[in-house]
Amino acid sequence: MPPTHTAQSEGPSGYREAVELEFAEATKRYPGADSPAVDGLSLTVPAGEICVFVGPSGCGKTTAMRMVNRMIDISSGDILVGGRSVKDRDVDELRREIGYVIQQIGLFPHRTIADNIATVPRLLGWDRPKINARVEELLDLIGLPQDMSKRYPAQLSGGQRQRVGVARALAADPPLMLMDEPFGAIDPINRERLQNEFLRLQAEIRKTIVFVTHDIDEAIKMGDRIAILQVGGKLAQYATPSEILLHPANEFVEDFVGADRALKRLALLRVSDIELGPSNGGPSIRDTALVRDALSDLLQHGALHGNVVDSGGRTVGGISMEALARLAKA
Amino acid sequence: MILAQLQIRGEDDAGDSCVADNGFCPSWIADNWERYQDPFLEHLALTLISVAIGFVIAFGLALVAHRRRWLIPPITQITGILYTLPSVALFFLLLPLTGRGKTTAVIALVAYTLLIIFRNVITGLEGVPAEARDAGRGMGLTPRQLLWRVELPLALPAIMAGLRIAVTTTVGLTALVFLAGAGGLGEEIFNDMQFRSNVVVAGGLCVLLAVVLDLLVLAAQKLITPWTRKVAT
Ligand SMILES: Nc1ncnc2c1ncn2[C@@H]1O[C@H](COP(=O)(O)OP(=O)(O)OP(=O)(O)O)[C@@H](O)[C@H]1O
Ligand SMILES: [Mg+2]
Repeated sequence: MPPTHTAQSEGPSGYREAVELEFAEATKRYPGADSPAVDGLSLTVPAGEICVFVGPSGCGKTTAMRMVNRMIDISSGDILVGGRSVKDRDVDELRREIGYVIQQIGLFPHRTIADNIATVPRLLGWDRPKINARVEELLDLIGLPQDMSKRYPAQLSGGQRQRVGVARALAADPPLMLMDEPFGAIDPINRERLQNEFLRLQAEIRKTIVFVTHDIDEAIKMGDRIAILQVGGKLAQYATPSEILLHPANEFVEDFVGADRALKRLALLRVSDIELGPSNGGPSIRDTALVRDALSDLLQHGALHGNVVDSGGRTVGGISMEALARLAKA
Repeated sequence: MILAQLQIRGEDDAGDSCVADNGFCPSWIADNWERYQDPFLEHLALTLISVAIGFVIAFGLALVAHRRRWLIPPITQITGILYTLPSVALFFLLLPLTGRGKTTAVIALVAYTLLIIFRNVITGLEGVPAEARDAGRGMGLTPRQLLWRVELPLALPAIMAGLRIAVTTTVGLTALVFLAGAGGLGEEIFNDMQFRSNVVVAGGLCVLLAVVLDLLVLAAQKLITPWTRKVAT
């Protein structure tokens, strides 16, 4: 099967090159609807970056995303994956090349975890030893013990299932991933853990990722860039998280990111990322802490400045309320 | 009927007081065991053949109707009429076409299984979780792959449940096909309805057959749907 050969993974050392994703005036009108669900969406996701679609319920996030793998037909405009229009592609071949995590996870209840993960490699005709090796590798990657591979989805916790959903989407090493609220059904603590694990994973695998959420905090945390959509499927702003927090394009974005956007900006940085002054004493603050948490610490102690220390407890500088205020405003 | 009764309680038995009193006679049963063997096998064969043919037809209809949903109501209606038609009436309707014998019997029995199996396959396919279907499509399974690898396996519990009902009802209905001259355990029952030992043995074999076949289908279901077993652990 020569055409499927290009879709084969070489394992961890040989990830397939990520591709650029471009929406070009992509529009979706559902039959019978007065206004489009996605209206002339134009944006480019550079290869290897996470683009987060965020916006209120019904603003067209899922619709925009599902046009990429043609689960929904594009009414007008186009979408290009690696420079090629998705409309020119064989639809099943296109989908096998795009990792897809649906909003409801959608594991096959009648297949074991290993078989679920192996779905796309099987469709691509990989041989058995290669599939087994890939499943093992992915279980390690998502941090599940190997002996879970023989279980059925109903025997896993919600968080474990969600990870298997991600592993299944990654199985054939797709250059592009679509993830629709992948951590939606998870409690806040486990959600944060999965987010961190996923960011660590992405640092290694460097996929182009479209990530849908309705939670602005998740968007800020996960996104290299954020596309804020407005009801009616209009793009309100497309920019990096700090740009959106600093310069919201309009009132809608301002409202959507919330009154605490100055604090959210501070959550984007770690103490070690900012310029430190000389230490003037005060409570000790780790250099790896988020700047927002450092501020919280100072407020807690009623202190105007803090003493920044490294992992060995040595003082590396000082942080003051004034400096933080300047930073939040900048 | 009177003549038939004389046949079953042979001259040898004339001296047996149990038989004369029309009781439940273990010794008579032991002596006459063999007379039930062929009707039993006949009964089994008629049941299996009819259910097998019925399954193939109903399953095929269900697959067609799964793609063309508008076909579901008319197919349900037609198979429903076949299901409610009294079997004796069906035999008489078929007699001019297929005559007395096994063919008539099998056609009638098949007609009864269609509704049960068709409904259960459709119900099973409708019960497939939408998100499993959606994920399958999203990963690039063709419609055919989706049907055979996702939808039908997930519909198996409902399909097998339909098969169990079909098998047990068919065992019961096969007891009537002797009216169309097709033999089976029904013939033995009617050979001497007044003689308790006969009715108990022939009727008991019917029930036993139904129970055993039902359990076999159930065992097969457990075997081919391992995910339904492991969930509770
Ligand atoms: N199949 C459909 N037919 C008609 N209208 C639809 C269909 N699917 C979605 N819509 C409409 O399109 C709009 C966008 O829906 P979409 O599912 O893309 O929203 P979303 O941003 O993903 O929302 P959520 O955050 O609730 O998942 C909504 O107004 C919705 O009612
Ligand atoms: Mg959605």
